[in-house]
Amino acid sequence: MIPEWMKNEDTYVPPGGGGTFAVRTIRAIGGAVGRLQFQQGHEKKYALPALVKLFILVAAILALSLSHHRLVMLAYTAVLLLYLCTWPPRDIGHILAGALAAAGLTLILVLPAMFLKPEGVSGNLNLVWKVFLSVVMVSIFNHTTQWNHITGALRRLHVPGIFIFTLDITLKYVVLLGRFIRDVLTAYIHRAVGRNDKKYQSVGGVMGLTFLRGTEMSREMYEAMRCRGFTDDYKGL
Amino acid sequence: MHIPENYLSPLTCGIMTAAMVPVWTHAVKKIQVELPKDKLPLIGVGAAFSFLAMMFNVPLVGGTTGHAVGGTLIALLFGPNAACIAVSVALLLQAVIFGDGGILAFGANCFNMAFVLPYFGYFVYTQIVKRFGGDKKDGVRYAAAAIGSYLGLSLAALCTAIEFGIQPMLFKDSLGNALYCPYDLSISIPAMMIPHLVVAGFVEAAFTVAVFAFVKKTSPDLIFENIEAGTGMKGKSHVPVFALVAALIAATPLGLLATGTAWGEWGADEIAEVVTGGKALGYTPSGLANGWALEPIMPDYALEGMNEVVAYILSAIIGAALLVIIFKLLSMALKGKKVSYDS
Repeated sequence: MIPEWMKNEDTYVPPGGGGTFAVRTIRAIGGAVGRLQFQQGHEKKYALPALVKLFILVAAILALSLSHHRLVMLAYTAVLLLYLCTWPPRDIGHILAGALAAAGLTLILVLPAMFLKPEGVSGNLNLVWKVFLSVVMVSIFNHTTQWNHITGALRRLHVPGIFIFTLDITLKYVVLLGRFIRDVLTAYIHRAVGRNDKKYQSVGGVMGLTFLRGTEMSREMYEAMRCRGFTDDYKGL
Repeated sequence: MHIPENYLSPLTCGIMTAAMVPVWTHAVKKIQVELPKDKLPLIGVGAAFSFLAMMFNVPLVGGTTGHAVGGTLIALLFGPNAACIAVSVALLLQAVIFGDGGILAFGANCFNMAFVLPYFGYFVYTQIVKRFGGDKKDGVRYAAAAIGSYLGLSLAALCTAIEFGIQPMLFKDSLGNALYCPYDLSISIPAMMIPHLVVAGFVEAAFTVAVFAFVKKTSPDLIFENIEAGTGMKGKSHVPVFALVAALIAATPLGLLATGTAWGEWGADEIAEVVTGGKALGYTPSGLANGWALEPIMPDYALEGMNEVVAYILSAIIGAALLVIIFKLLSMALKGKKVSYDS
């Protein structure tokens, strides 16, 4: 015997907006995690070793900062643009957008100085130009070198192990925790129906869960390291 | 042929820019239809050819200089609409970064070199090929390219001369001195046309035919007729074309050999001493002396205290690379906007 209420047609339409914030957050996190995980860019097979590239990068930035002649800056611009124009459009866009943002920020910072001392304007503009060139060079390096090759190169330069360890672990755990947040939010979307008036509570819950999971993971990793003979010093890393 | 700042009245500049707006809109719309998406970034290479051609100054009769534009060449490679956009962007770079041609006069410069020149040059080319059955004979095509580019450049020079020449008729101060360009049609037309008909037109024709023949041999998939007909699209390597651009860049300092300023491109400090018909002008038009001017980043492709040749080559590299980058980014923007799954 079917009860009466089951026979009625249900016309309930839940008001929208229940899980949109979660969807948006997931999209943002997914993008960031994706960028870290499958590092964008194109390291070529015949690329220079990361150590050599890092050395050239530091030397080039030093030389650029020390030079006062515009011819040097012009030559840098010519070489960098010439190299960039062989790249795929999307990568050029990424690099130029970052460099232009940095140059714009520098321009805003030196703007008061330019108004107060008009005779120093050309020097200030040189500074903006140099920032642009330096950021382009760093972005090119970043774009054409895998992350683990960069840390390897830093290690060869005798950067203390603890720095590299922290960098590496941070990047790995950003990816792991990002995936965790994505899973929690997916679960939330599947359960959310109708309008949620307590969004902030839900967000707080997600963040709290993530924090708990993070501490748990760090404890687990520490224990795993102890089991493999870690003696609380990073010298041998 | 670059009209500098303040030689045309702001009114003329406004009208010319307004006239260019529908042309640009039409060209952008047409490009998306008639060119395959993978060819869009290559328009930048065409723009680079034009940019480099304009850096080769040749001495002309009467102590002035002139240069090729290459508009017809780009029209032959990518179609007249692409040529319009390519030359416009090259002119914009020259105006803003290198101070060649005024920023207010940008619309007028585009009208002459990016609209009149490529469309007319390409029209002449297609008419000749149609009349004389150039479908089978390459010789007819080359001749048509030469005649088309020669006539295109000449017509563009005529337009420039008319724009200069009507200024003193329309804009005068109370003393009867011209406010902007001081020479009327009877002076400006012969001054512009004779050098361009006698020398610059032939330079343009030679440049066009040489590059056109080279591209036709090495990368036939970059010729507009082949793109339209869908033949010769084997996706050959474009290395020879880029090598040609590199060779042109290396040769740009030859453009420095021609000293003297092109007719109609004097600075405000030079114009009072310019001698025409046996007498110097004797005054500086007030619109020129007090006009609006923006300090370009690298005036005349050089920086102070710098080796001229090195600066010239670096300018050529930066200009060419920037044009390729700009068109790659533009093509990405166009691709992102219109994705059609119908065809």
